[in-house]
Amino acid sequence: MAKTAEELNKELADAVVDMDEELVGDLANEVIENGYDPLNAIDQGLAKGMDEAGKLFEEEEYFVPELLMCSDAVNTGIDILKPHIHLDDAGERHKIVVGVIEGDTHDIGKNLVKVMLSAANFEVIDAGRDVPPEVFVDTAVKEGAQIIMIAALMTTTMDRIADTINLIKERGLEGKIKVVIGGAPISPAFAKKIGADAYSINANAAVRIAREMLG
Amino acid sequence: MPQIFFKEQGQHVEVAAGTTILQAARNAGIIVESPCDGVGTCGKCKVLLEDAPAGSYKVEEAHYQMPPELAEQGYVLACHTKVLGDITVVAENTAKQNKSLKILSEGESFSYEIDPYFHKEYADGKTKVYAGDKLVGEEDGDTRDKFYGLAIDIGTTTLVTALIDMNTGEELGSMSALNPQSLHAQDVITRIHMASKPEGLALLYGAIRDEFNNTIHALCKKLNVDSKNIYEVIYSGNTTMIHLATNVNPHSLGQFPYTAAIKGGNTIPADDLDISPFGDIYLPPIISAYVGPDITSGVLAAQLEKKKGTTLFIDIGTNGEMILAQDGRLAGTSTAAGPAFEGMNITCGMRAGDGALELYQIQDDGSVKTHTIGDTAAKGICGSGLLDIIGELVRVGVIGKTGRLVKPARGKYPEPLKANMKEKDGKPVFYVADDVYITQSDVRQVQLAKGAIRAGVDMLMMALDVDEQDVDCVEIAGSFGYHLRESSLIDQGMLPEAFRGKVRFVGNTSKSGAKAFLLNKGTRTYMENLVKDIKDVELSQDPKFQDVFVKAMGF
Repeated sequence: MAKTAEELNKELADAVVDMDEELVGDLANEVIENGYDPLNAIDQGLAKGMDEAGKLFEEEEYFVPELLMCSDAVNTGIDILKPHIHLDDAGERHKIVVGVIEGDTHDIGKNLVKVMLSAANFEVIDAGRDVPPEVFVDTAVKEGAQIIMIAALMTTTMDRIADTINLIKERGLEGKIKVVIGGAPISPAFAKKIGADAYSINANAAVRIAREMLG
Repeated sequence: MPQIFFKEQGQHVEVAAGTTILQAARNAGIIVESPCDGVGTCGKCKVLLEDAPAGSYKVEEAHYQMPPELAEQGYVLACHTKVLGDITVVAENTAKQNKSLKILSEGESFSYEIDPYFHKEYADGKTKVYAGDKLVGEEDGDTRDKFYGLAIDIGTTTLVTALIDMNTGEELGSMSALNPQSLHAQDVITRIHMASKPEGLALLYGAIRDEFNNTIHALCKKLNVDSKNIYEVIYSGNTTMIHLATNVNPHSLGQFPYTAAIKGGNTIPADDLDISPFGDIYLPPIISAYVGPDITSGVLAAQLEKKKGTTLFIDIGTNGEMILAQDGRLAGTSTAAGPAFEGMNITCGMRAGDGALELYQIQDDGSVKTHTIGDTAAKGICGSGLLDIIGELVRVGVIGKTGRLVKPARGKYPEPLKANMKEKDGKPVFYVADDVYITQSDVRQVQLAKGAIRAGVDMLMMALDVDEQDVDCVEIAGSFGYHLRESSLIDQGMLPEAFRGKVRFVGNTSKSGAKAFLLNKGTRTYMENLVKDIKDVELSQDPKFQDVFVKAMGF
């Protein structure tokens, strides 16, 4: 008796939470063999599982290594499902630029944000680390991204984030491109002071904020 | 009452049962060298027990781990061995050795000739003062016997200043003080940020200059020395501290590619210090932005490049600075461990003051043995206590492999401990004393900190293509490391299991190395050249770092 699509999605989500990359692979293949909708499996299976993992991360049940293992499992599933998605079904994904501010090369936090956003089905453009304000803004304009997420891990570099926000204003892009910031030395107060649109306390919150911003 | 026979000294001493050998020796006026004052960290008070029957003594666990071959021969630490019955103790007469060998009290060192950069020559009622070959000044009368220098370890949190007689090499006295900059900006990065602006630099430089002068006055007064007879000062500290102590803008240290504005390996005028008007300050060579002169001093004191085999040298602190040496090849790196080891960002964390839990041991029956600084009720947890606690909780399974606090129902740890696992605001917390507990978030902080150190160690081994098993010796320097036990470092995975039994605590080698720079000018050119050959391993640039770091976070 074949499983229903709903049952498979549930199992996919659980396997992601359990960090079981192999099982996710098997289940993704099962989705394809049964002719179920791969997009639905990503959305209702893999992404749901990653959501749950993100929650566990916020509750401190999971930590960085577990979150990355969950993300590896998601990627395994996506790799199998993606070739079976018809382009016209996929629709337009929202784009988000992520990067570490100029002068700073500590990028593990940024990578976690990237992982969570990707799993939540955003199209993430990774600007890398040591990224000057102009590059952030230029990339967002070129890619048509509505959100830039900037991380800083050192007190010595966080002031450059303000320059990015000022640049957005100078170019008359205020409101069109929103800036979300985070990282160890960043506080909500700092975010407010420099006029950032939001402060994200961790990678899971970044997903929530992006969803709210993009409706 | 038990009787101890000190064989070398030919003295019989009667003591109350339970007295330590060190205490007994002190009571009898026998000098057993004990640089750490019997805390059990330095291992210097080793004595040999001759044919001591079982039950005539009791060895207690100390920070210092006795090498197995010495333990087999019958060596024990005098400070951690209690006398219960009649025994014979062979305590070497170290006083004689010390005259020829420069063994330094607070940090390990090596033997070197007393040959300072400065020297004095007397003729015709005048004493000429030379810096190197250069005549820098003249003093009335014969002042050759008044010839002093300072070795200063500039820590991010504490300053240690030693006044040294440059004729004899003897350390006349030393003094510790809080680094006053820490009142303005606690960690290194915040200090760089502050001092990147002129007014910030002025404030931080002014604060430390005043503290140096206060210390100089206080030390000179105590030791009856005229500060005008201090001719040279060595500044040993991390790269940032050296910038700030010499009034140099540290901006470039805080921005990729993280470069130092000064290189060290030179002398600068000591105009702002209340010492001889001819005096100067020597800055040991800087290895990199985050591997500073304190480590250069450490390499010198530990003679790392001369050691056969493989030695890992680490200063564990907010920044873990480390050097791996294999048969003369050296590589160095530093990792940002964050302030967890200072008790910061930890729910019940505190500095290592009275009431800080510094020792935590779980016995086989699940009962717990603790010790607080000052023997008072536990008020909080200091950095070394935190590592001890986490190490023990991991060992018995209260903390799982991924770092989760394991709930009593699912835990396989000893029953008595299960009562200590409670809930606070809906989250599990583990009580280590009446009002002191560990939260899940505390464990996460430790995972980040110890993961960073371990990742640095692993990356350094990769850089020199060294296996864990190939490491012959691990030397832990610095005041924080001094309060740690090998087991708490290895049980929680900050160091690999393969290092067990190989860890030594070498103390404040920043200071002992600074002393060597002060007393022997040849060490300067030697180290200036050696530093150029130390491979600088920059972690945040290496794509492998994230994987190594993430893996190192587990237990």
